[in-house]
Amino acid sequence: MKKIGTGDIKDLCTGAAFLATGGGGDPYVCQLLAERLLKKFGSATLLAPNEVPDEFYVVSIGMVGAPSVTLEQLPTEEESIAALNKYEEITGKKIDAVIPFEVGGGNSTIPLFVAAMRGIPCIDGDGMGRAFPEAQMMTFPIYGVHPTPAVVTDFYGNHVLLDCKDAETFEKEIRAQAVKMGGMVSSAEHGMSGDSVRRSAVPGTLSFATRLGNLLRSHGGLIDAIQPHLFELFAESDYGHIKHLFTGKVLDNERKVIGGYDVGSTTLQSFDDPEIKMSLLIKNEYLIAKIGKQVVASVPDLICIVEQETSRPLNAERMRYGQRVSVFGIGCTHHYRTPEALKVTEPRAFGFNLDYVPIEDL
Amino acid sequence: MRIGIDVGGTHTDAVLMDGMAIVTSHKALTTTDVRQGIIEALDAVMSEANTEPGSIEAVMIGTTHFTNAVIERRELTETAIIRVCLPTGSGLPPMCDWPEDIGAIVGNHCYMIAGGHFFNGKPIACIDEAETNKVIEDISSKNIKDIAIAAAFSPANPEHEIAVANLLLKIIPDANVSLSHKLGRLGILERENAAILNASLGVLAGRVVYSMKAALKERRIKCPFYISQNDGTLMSAEYIANFPALTFSSGPTNSIRGAAILSGIDNAIVVDIGGTTSDVGVLADGFPRESNSHIEVGGVRTNFRMPDILPIGLGGGSLVSEGGNVIGPQSVGHHLVKESLVFGGETLTATDISVANGSCEVGNKSLVSHLDSKIVNTATETLHSMIDNAIDKMRPSEEPVPVILVGGGAILISQQLKTASTLIQPEHAGVANAIGAAIAQVGGEVEQIVSYSKVKRETTLENAIREAEAKAVAAGADKSTLRVLDIEETAMSYMDDDAARLRVKVIGDLELGT
Repeated sequence: MKKIGTGDIKDLCTGAAFLATGGGGDPYVCQLLAERLLKKFGSATLLAPNEVPDEFYVVSIGMVGAPSVTLEQLPTEEESIAALNKYEEITGKKIDAVIPFEVGGGNSTIPLFVAAMRGIPCIDGDGMGRAFPEAQMMTFPIYGVHPTPAVVTDFYGNHVLLDCKDAETFEKEIRAQAVKMGGMVSSAEHGMSGDSVRRSAVPGTLSFATRLGNLLRSHGGLIDAIQPHLFELFAESDYGHIKHLFTGKVLDNERKVIGGYDVGSTTLQSFDDPEIKMSLLIKNEYLIAKIGKQVVASVPDLICIVEQETSRPLNAERMRYGQRVSVFGIGCTHHYRTPEALKVTEPRAFGFNLDYVPIEDL
Repeated sequence: MRIGIDVGGTHTDAVLMDGMAIVTSHKALTTTDVRQGIIEALDAVMSEANTEPGSIEAVMIGTTHFTNAVIERRELTETAIIRVCLPTGSGLPPMCDWPEDIGAIVGNHCYMIAGGHFFNGKPIACIDEAETNKVIEDISSKNIKDIAIAAAFSPANPEHEIAVANLLLKIIPDANVSLSHKLGRLGILERENAAILNASLGVLAGRVVYSMKAALKERRIKCPFYISQNDGTLMSAEYIANFPALTFSSGPTNSIRGAAILSGIDNAIVVDIGGTTSDVGVLADGFPRESNSHIEVGGVRTNFRMPDILPIGLGGGSLVSEGGNVIGPQSVGHHLVKESLVFGGETLTATDISVANGSCEVGNKSLVSHLDSKIVNTATETLHSMIDNAIDKMRPSEEPVPVILVGGGAILISQQLKTASTLIQPEHAGVANAIGAAIAQVGGEVEQIVSYSKVKRETTLENAIREAEAKAVAAGADKSTLRVLDIEETAMSYMDDDAARLRVKVIGDLELGT
């Protein structure tokens, strides 16, 4: 069994920021919290999905809301622990392990410190293998895990029990709760058995994010210099395909809140030929990348951006005019390549009149 | 007429200006006693121009004193921090990410109490007077006078910071209180850090300002004097005792602003070449481009408005090695006049290369005549390409940009740079910092979380600009010169109400002649 300790958190957060495909917010606050708690309570035990006993009861835990709110309403471990306690109380079930919603941003660290504090393992995997803006886009509901009962907990320790008929309704309800309860809530949801974890989770993503973050962080220089290593790392993973799509500078970054999400676009300009431009369409995360009119990557494949000179992953809200960046397209794992997964994550699910073409075929 | 003074770690520079024209300038060594250095600088520029103290309308001072105090961990006082946030935030108490050494010096006197606001302006909790007074009594019993207060979302609603400060002043009437909303933007950890550093510099700030005032008084200069801050704007000297942290990055800012005045160019790259390092910055519309990322001051994370500066290890004293292929980052520093070849020393420095290749005349040229021309050519190429690469990283586009060279090491550059459309080496480039201080403007800034579904976007923007203008005028700006410097909107993810973070900054010329 693997362990993740306080010394691994910076790497994990860097890797998770890369896999967040522009979303996830600034992971610094959750990084600090996880470093402190793992120092105090010891390393968290990682349990690979194929090691989870069938009879294990696993619950997904994390935060839902506006990342910018966490800059002021700093998260505490207490909310997540309270949500889990209430979940056990309501369901009458004992939680044997926890699993992250997503491997993007701060939500990758919350289950780790919760696991360390409770003395239970954290599953080395998640419900996205990346970040997506909505709950029904998680692999858990796609592969038959019901999102509710879910316990939603706020800063005061108030709990709201959600019992919804499907994942789409759950997304609407939990989003409304987050707005009502100060912009950010903790949620214990998607209770599942060990065999459901194996069926629905994207495996190995926490340890993969840590390795990826270590590669980016220990290098810390021009991304071009480590591109072969980066390609090797992804080629050997469940993601498989990785392509360098573009290198250029940020020309424009336009964003608006529509219906409770960040919607907008970013335009990049090539260094070699100023006429060549890449546009990125955003709904919290990067959804579609085009060079001119040609689509070069789209959801559910990953579009990941790093600062060219430092190899530091950049989330969408940190993009600014003049920044020099490198863009990579990465194949989603096989979990998102089935008809039922594509139905909720392909470009059409986001309202684009566009078919999904896998990155390796583009 | 006005006088600009830059009190740096090594030099105290002064410049006497009539409008935008430079009358006289002076470069002297900084003295341990700030007062004495300023008096010498004043005497030099005023006697040379034969100017009476009565004709000086304003004195502007830029200083790296407070930055150096934090970096060198000296002259900081023990400081208490009260964070108004519970029940949020207990997982990450104040100062939890500070380097141990500076944390120990400031004393780790951290308190958290109920209060603060949500993004929508509603209180997280009410201030509990009894609980708050207990905390204040504890601080009082430790005899701590320097106190920082930070409340959640205080940039949008400072009510609770002010309420706690009022309770505090009842029990500790002589307290030096730093309120975080006056120092930073959203991001409570960084804003709180800024407030703690600011409070901790209070005693030093009081002393330095007193020395500056004493120097002016001794030379019978009765006009107002100002201190320049990070973004190139001024704050009145009365404010500096309260906000020393706002000067943290004024050095590079002043050199970029000074370069703009000296060259008459508003958009360019400014390269300030010193003895050990060079700072490359971007001049955009007459002001330095601000950095977007979090800036550490002495290892403490802050979110101050700071210029985007790329420092590289190349200066006049940089060591030349590997047949001229490697220059710096080691440097002989201020021992240049002893250790470099042209001054009879034994160390090959970047300055020696510039003398050998004929780009400048310093020291004794015959002492470098024996140098292999291959090494001289290689080193010349190396130092130009180092500057070129740094400019390339900073310039806003692939187009060649005007490049302004300032600082004592500007003489190193003898050829055209690939990245430069024009290369400008203005007169008085050595005292660009003092000039930058002399011509600094005053500004007003507003940052809020806004909801466009409640108040229309145009109305919201208009209100924010009016508020920022009022702040600028209160800071001493001439109403007729006000202009909006920056409007920054950040959409807030996942939120309804079309919410955004809005930041507006208005600047104007300092009103003189009153």
